[in-house]
Amino acid sequence: MNCHARIPRAALVAATMLVLASPLAAQGTGRGAAWGGGGAVPVTPPPPLGDADTLPPDKYFGVTENDLARTKLEKLVKPGGFAVYIVTDMEGLAGVVNNGREMSNGRSGNSPDHQRFRQELTDELNAAIAGARRGGATQFFVVEGHGANNFRNVLVDKVDSAAMLLRGWPRPNVMETGVNSRMNLMMVVGNHPNAGTPGIIAHSYALGGPMTVNGMKLNESGISAFIGAEFGVPLGMVSGDDSYAAEMKEAFPSAEVVTVKIALSGSGGAMMPLPRVHAQIKAAATKAVQRAKAGQVKLVTFSKPYHVAWCIRNTFAQPVYEVMAKPQGFTLTPDTAAGPRCFTYDTNKAEDIGTIMNLVEWAALKP
Amino acid sequence: MPMSFPRCTRPLLALLIASAVALPGQAGERGGPGTGPNVFQGKHLPFENGFRVYIVSNMAGMGAAVDMKEVMAGTEAGAPAQTNTASFADYEGRFRSLLTQEANAAVRGARLGGARSFVVGDAHPGNSFGNILPWELDSAVVLVRGFPRPIFMISGLDSTFGTLMFDGAVASAGSKGILPHTFGFDAFSVNGKPLNEVAISALIAGEMRVSVSMVAGDDAAIEETRAMLPNGFVGIITKYAVGRQAGITYSPVRVRQMIAAGAAEAVRREKAGAFAPFKMDKPYRVEFTVQSSMSDDVVGQIAAMSGFTLEKTGLRSFRFTTESARQIGYLIDAMQPWVTR
Repeated sequence: MNCHARIPRAALVAATMLVLASPLAAQGTGRGAAWGGGGAVPVTPPPPLGDADTLPPDKYFGVTENDLARTKLEKLVKPGGFAVYIVTDMEGLAGVVNNGREMSNGRSGNSPDHQRFRQELTDELNAAIAGARRGGATQFFVVEGHGANNFRNVLVDKVDSAAMLLRGWPRPNVMETGVNSRMNLMMVVGNHPNAGTPGIIAHSYALGGPMTVNGMKLNESGISAFIGAEFGVPLGMVSGDDSYAAEMKEAFPSAEVVTVKIALSGSGGAMMPLPRVHAQIKAAATKAVQRAKAGQVKLVTFSKPYHVAWCIRNTFAQPVYEVMAKPQGFTLTPDTAAGPRCFTYDTNKAEDIGTIMNLVEWAALKP
Repeated sequence: MPMSFPRCTRPLLALLIASAVALPGQAGERGGPGTGPNVFQGKHLPFENGFRVYIVSNMAGMGAAVDMKEVMAGTEAGAPAQTNTASFADYEGRFRSLLTQEANAAVRGARLGGARSFVVGDAHPGNSFGNILPWELDSAVVLVRGFPRPIFMISGLDSTFGTLMFDGAVASAGSKGILPHTFGFDAFSVNGKPLNEVAISALIAGEMRVSVSMVAGDDAAIEETRAMLPNGFVGIITKYAVGRQAGITYSPVRVRQMIAAGAAEAVRREKAGAFAPFKMDKPYRVEFTVQSSMSDDVVGQIAAMSGFTLEKTGLRSFRFTTESARQIGYLIDAMQPWVTR
């Protein structure tokens, strides 16, 4: 979902100061010298970074907002049809190996590769929608699950016109916004394997390793499926690299799995031809819908209460810890035996895990 | 798309099953001695039935390119901050696409010659080994891209391949070619015989019983490779060197025609048994001098980290002996991050 090295706050402060100090900014505020007018440009110090910067606003993240998003989405599902909920990500797209320039605009602020892979994301998504439609699906709800460009990567003018997009951030839950019992099937396009596994851009949100539920390791798609399962939505189709495919086949044996590339390192691999990948995703989506209609896609459920355990990434340790430690309606238990940045949480609501991931994302992204 | 799904998914399935288990790796498939198993080494690539071709795409040796700004993005990891803000216009706007079309021409030619399964390896460090545009590549090709990867010049090559081709050979470091270099070395020899990038790869491929059938590049690269690989190959001169950043070049259209024709000829002759794998006497006595941007210390540290024991023979110069050509590949892998830095 998000796997980028974060810009340290000091750099952000410096960048803010630079912007404020630029002649253009001075012009905009109506004070100081005009462009080329000579003379010193007054430097306005940036406002102090208060809690607002480190803490997500409560209203975006609480349980109430999950309910709100779910209710709104429920109303959009037409009864009598077959609604597919598609979670998208980018690290597991065909052709992708490089986190620096392909997954975001990076330091250059304009990476042609990132822009082109947004097209590939849209192509693979469209293939899934076309395939699902051929299998009998009637509605398509698409979650933007990739953090770059603030969760806006699908090309809105190129995506299948029947799709509705859940895009932008912050929003309740990260990759499962509004998933509800009126959805018939979940699919995942372009996701990646768990942190620490031998796969391409392997990571788990901004965590230091895989999250476990009742002791079972779940990758990002696993978490999506876990939350979907509580609403009775089974996972029917996924796509990603071979390492991810192996994880998914083990955890979700009844899901269709499309392998789009073979990992040869965390940032290198053998890519299946893109047109073939699109055809395979389309075929798998068709099959998934047909099998779901025949009741052949199994729901993978966990026993309650869910015992959730995770460690946050050491690079984000302090800010994430701060976020975690502040009351957000969750009481997290530090798991010092597992490590200095490890927590456990027991809950009867799978959506809570999505909210906790949202907190981690906040610490990593801070839009 | 010429092939059907069932044919391509079967080997893929077998591969998935194989890769689900952490590959133990045989002794010969590991990294440097003592580095332990690397799950990525010894992985096999998906394939179609029929004659298999591995095409090494090396941008520095492609047709028309003569300048670093045409073959490097300028934003590679470790590039100076001032160049890390925008890509070079010719690289992004023209040469990446031309490179992809060259690879397509090689595939087209090889198909004409009777090949049915294609792997293209993006072996040039521009844009972190991501020069070829996947979305413009022939739809039958499995594209190897990104870095690091095991034996990056020929990652995934194994004995199931019928032949190995080089689109974009460069002349060795210090020679009178266009953008001449030999990985990160000023000099490189095995058993006292100087080898360029193509010949080093040919030696590793030779141990897998795979021979080189086509080499395209500038005249200096083709001439010196002819001297290094006595078993012959189809040589295609796509440009003539008149300086280390200057050349007499053909039109890209002409280059693509030459490469397609050369690849077709190469597959036909390979199938007729015209080329033999390149072999040298074992143990291999590998001697090299690293380029002057690297210090003795750095080389020693890299080698030690990767489990190689090098014998120092002079300023920035080292020797090691091995029974396996793969180890030469793993040593070059270990050096590469320091070279592009």
